[in-house]
Amino acid sequence: MKGQWPLLWLALYRRRRMLAALIIGMVVFEALIVVVANTISPGQLFSAGGKGPPSAYRAFSGSSGGVSIASYPGLLGAGLTHPFWIAMQLTAIGSLAAAAVAADVESGTVELVMVRPVSRTRLLAERTAALVLAALALNLAATLTVAAGVVLSPDIHRAVPIGGVFAAGVMGLGFALCLIGPAMAVSAAGRRRAQVIGATIAIGAVGFAVNFIALAWGPAAPLRFLSPFHYYAPGDALAEGGVLWPQLGILVGTGVLGILLAHLLLRRRDLAP
Amino acid sequence: MSDGPAIELTGLTKRYGPVVGVDRLSLTVGTGEVFGFLGPNGAGKTTTLRCLTGLLRPSEGRVRVLGLDPITDHSRVAPHLGYLPGELRLYPELSGAETLDLLSALQEAPVPRRGELCDRLGLTPAVLARPVGGYSRGMKQKLGLVQAMQHDPHLVVLDEPTEGLDPLVQDTFFTLLGEAAAAGRTVLLSSHILPEVQRTCGRVAIIRDGRLVTVQSVAGLREARARRIRLSFADGQGARPLGDAERWAPHWQGDRVELLVPPSEVVGALRALLSRPVADVTVEEAGLDEAFMDLYRNGAVREEP
Repeated sequence: MKGQWPLLWLALYRRRRMLAALIIGMVVFEALIVVVANTISPGQLFSAGGKGPPSAYRAFSGSSGGVSIASYPGLLGAGLTHPFWIAMQLTAIGSLAAAAVAADVESGTVELVMVRPVSRTRLLAERTAALVLAALALNLAATLTVAAGVVLSPDIHRAVPIGGVFAAGVMGLGFALCLIGPAMAVSAAGRRRAQVIGATIAIGAVGFAVNFIALAWGPAAPLRFLSPFHYYAPGDALAEGGVLWPQLGILVGTGVLGILLAHLLLRRRDLAP
Repeated sequence: MSDGPAIELTGLTKRYGPVVGVDRLSLTVGTGEVFGFLGPNGAGKTTTLRCLTGLLRPSEGRVRVLGLDPITDHSRVAPHLGYLPGELRLYPELSGAETLDLLSALQEAPVPRRGELCDRLGLTPAVLARPVGGYSRGMKQKLGLVQAMQHDPHLVVLDEPTEGLDPLVQDTFFTLLGEAAAAGRTVLLSSHILPEVQRTCGRVAIIRDGRLVTVQSVAGLREARARRIRLSFADGQGARPLGDAERWAPHWQGDRVELLVPPSEVVGALRALLSRPVADVTVEEAGLDEAFMDLYRNGAVREEP
């Protein structure tokens, strides 16, 4: 990789410790969710007051359909839409997207790279590939951890097909792609690392808040279509046992559009500190 | 690549919003020439070099490097280009050797001169094994010179290359430049240090406030360089008329006066001035910012044939 795709290697090499820590954090966190689900049934967990959880809690169960958080798919889905999971995804995406262009411009290292026979398309392609690989690693870690938990727990396994776990993992990767595109566009146009990290966090945090508000408050319901969390529905994938292709298409399509925009912006800009 | 000039700028203008970095700069550097690009800090040298290397898009004008457009033909120009940025920034976590490996992988060219350059600049294997984040400025600059020249490019563009180098390494660097010139390579050397350019370059362009002031041979430049004459009077009368020497705009401080005089007129000026009650006199070459640029302060663009 170092000789053939040096920019991809460089991006991953420079963030290797952060990525390792995030992967470990993801495994520990998802293992904890599985242990909690296996120890106390979701129905008991959310019915202490004699009532079920409010419908808006579907935002936390990773469902845009009818999967309640007070169910095994809902609880495992909550582990895949939890703010901790989101924070880890945003950290990886924000950091690597910032390093793709903006951080090199900010630090001045872009001069050394781009005076060589490196096209802007290649710069963007290798740096995007690094992001996709990082997102793949994070989501694979989460998926394999949840899959191991499902296989080891008969109660969970009865409610959640193993195919649903991998489908949720695919949706997770689609969600990451949905954020990677706009983050790369900001990086391609930006001159500061902080701009990219800030924009990535804003997209993630605002997206989650919009989805929750849309589910909780009727008049705001149409807004849910603007949030990536409306389409990223791991709870539904876990319950149905398959990938939700239309939603995945929207997530991936948004990501691809963002990358195309990044390409246009990068082609036109000056590349110097 | 063409057989024409190595570098050709025609009316190059680069604007940053309302700020003009380079203004209608026209310049030609022949193949095999060692060409100096001289000017004070902020004059527009780095902006020009970045336009040459394809990092910046000109706002107006035409840039040709090795006969090609450095932006649209970047993939054809860049393999033959070696560039040392003015403020060299490296990836701090990479070792020196990893940095050179990375940059040669991006260059996609063999690096026949790496070993020799590292030896001559004192970059030992032990030094190259250390992360560059721990390098001194001089060490980074040495690494920058190696990465710019390790693939033996046709055109070497160096922005303030001797910054941070000790005198011994500077000597080695100037020897390397001489060898590059002897081998027919084209070198564009940007600097704000006049003697550095005089030592290595055949011709020099002077730029100030983004505009070309003059292009001259180094011999012509040396001829034009002013001398600073300082006189002290001991009679306590302070400023006084200096006759013909008034045309050199004397600058008085108490009983002391300073004049910038073209070299060809120094002897005559001294004869006239020393007929007065002078207690002390010194004559020295004027600094670039104070004297040389002053000579061209109101000068139109001039270029030697």
